[in-house]
Amino acid sequence: MNFKKLFIAILIPLLVLIIPTEWIPIHNLTLIEHRVIAIFILATLFWILEPIPIFATSMLIITLELFMISDNSIAFLRSGAGTEGFGTLLSYKAIMATLASPIIILFLGGFFLAAAATKYRLDVNLARVLLKPFGSSPKTMMMGLMIITAIFSMFMSNTATTAMMLAILAPVLAMFERDDPARVAFLLAIPFAANIGGIGTPIGTPPNAVAMKYLTGDAFISFGAWMAFAIPYVVILLIFAWLLLLLLFKPKATELKLEIKSSFMRSPKALTVYITFAFTILMWIFSDLHGISSYVVAMIPVAVFLVSGILNAEDVRKLSWDVLWLIAGGIALGMAMENTGLSSHLIESIPFGQFNPLIIVFMATLVAILMATFMSHTATANLLLPVMAALGTNLESLAALGGSKMIILGVTFSCSIAMSLPISTPPNAMAYASGQIQNKDMMRSGIIIGVVALGMLYILLSILKTIDFI
Amino acid sequence: MEKLNIICIDDQRDVLAAVQKDMLYFAPIAEIIECESTAEAEEIMEELFAEEKPIAMLICDHIMPGENGVDFLARLQQDGRFRNISSILLTGLATHQDTIEAINRAHISHYIEKPWKSEELINKIRILMTRFVIKSGRDFKDYMDFMDQNTLYNEMHERY
Repeated sequence: MNFKKLFIAILIPLLVLIIPTEWIPIHNLTLIEHRVIAIFILATLFWILEPIPIFATSMLIITLELFMISDNSIAFLRSGAGTEGFGTLLSYKAIMATLASPIIILFLGGFFLAAAATKYRLDVNLARVLLKPFGSSPKTMMMGLMIITAIFSMFMSNTATTAMMLAILAPVLAMFERDDPARVAFLLAIPFAANIGGIGTPIGTPPNAVAMKYLTGDAFISFGAWMAFAIPYVVILLIFAWLLLLLLFKPKATELKLEIKSSFMRSPKALTVYITFAFTILMWIFSDLHGISSYVVAMIPVAVFLVSGILNAEDVRKLSWDVLWLIAGGIALGMAMENTGLSSHLIESIPFGQFNPLIIVFMATLVAILMATFMSHTATANLLLPVMAALGTNLESLAALGGSKMIILGVTFSCSIAMSLPISTPPNAMAYASGQIQNKDMMRSGIIIGVVALGMLYILLSILKTIDFI
Repeated sequence: MEKLNIICIDDQRDVLAAVQKDMLYFAPIAEIIECESTAEAEEIMEELFAEEKPIAMLICDHIMPGENGVDFLARLQQDGRFRNISSILLTGLATHQDTIEAINRAHISHYIEKPWKSEELINKIRILMTRFVIKSGRDFKDYMDFMDQNTLYNEMHERY
């Protein structure tokens, strides 16, 4: 633990908390909103400086909300309730419910699928079968690896997908000549494909989950609809990344033989995994047809795998609960800003209306990509999306460009396309840990992909606006 | 980032110095602690445990005055606090019987014969270090330059 960072991250919000409410230049600010500002600043500092693990910060946010702004908070903190300028207390049940909100359940369903797929080696076997048609030339092979990585990362965590693919790839890369640029190309292709692939579905990567919190009511996007526009975007980016990596790191080797020792398991349980996996994904994709929301569908794998004993207590303990809690903290933070009225007061006080809406979108996506380059993508989404949601709903000028749907999607995708440093994403870090790629290789290719992805994102958003989707 | 501790036990000063020299490689992430006997090592381990300092692994000689290495490592297997610590037996004089004991009772992770090659020792420690970092729930990004890639990828894949 870094005490200097911890000290700063606690001191500044504390100072904000103790200054008189009138000092804060937001019109009509209530006392509760004042406290939310302090919590938000604390969250920002904790997630940027990272004195403690990011998911711990999420739990801290939920705890502080319960003690400071809930209807069950410390007595003297809610003694002013009902008086003018005090504001609205949040229901403590609603704050706690963020830990089991539909979005968390959706992700839990995804975790169950991934866990069963890993345990029954479905992932490795699928990779083996899907790779076959790509032959043995390094160029086509790289395309194949990238496509498979991207597809997997739409349903599994980007980190686990990268780990699996690199585990398959590492022994092969070791056989390349020391100075063959193909090593670098392949080692970058996998994490990049995983980062890009995560954009493809609402459960592909945690920022998407955070976005789902704000895509409600008129702005609702179904699982299938998300995939309908996100996958073309992913495909184009993948092709671009593939071409770029081949151009920057031209492979010398002419042949690449990948031998994956594995075969499909044929036990009844394994078959159940295959069927449930396919069924759940189909149910998700076609949720618009059958009308059952993707949140409810997510319980199918949970129930099937537990009832059948495919996943046991030990497997359940091994799930990434920290990721779920990290998302929950973001949801709780957003809820506090929205339900206390802080979001709208904040937007009213800053004359956003004077700015050209295009510049607002440009700045928002740029800030997102910059923040996500240096810190956790999820934490970036947790911090930016509540503000974006408020902007989208309160800003007239933005409505012409697609309103909150547009700006939320824009910022969410921007979080995922930040991949120019080893610290940008866990997949990047894993590739870097191979010791075979240099910082500058990752930076050069990552920045180019980021810039192109951002350009493509604007095109995507304007297409979505033209067809009246947003 | 928290520094990890590696404990080296050997009764010969020059061996300790040679190991220490190889271990310089890990200096940014690990503290190397030299001990001349198992008794001294035990004392230090108690101290580290009390201060909540992480012990990543032991590098231990076998033939030493007092308690020998295999007996010491076997004894640690009975101690709940230390039984999961990986150990490397670094020795030149172990008999066939000692080697059997080292595997069966002391559950050593690796056996390296003296004289050893620096590269072999470093590579093995990288593997054990990677396993330790992941298993203990630390962020591998803090130790990125010292991870063994195959171990890292396989361990991360199994953690869904």
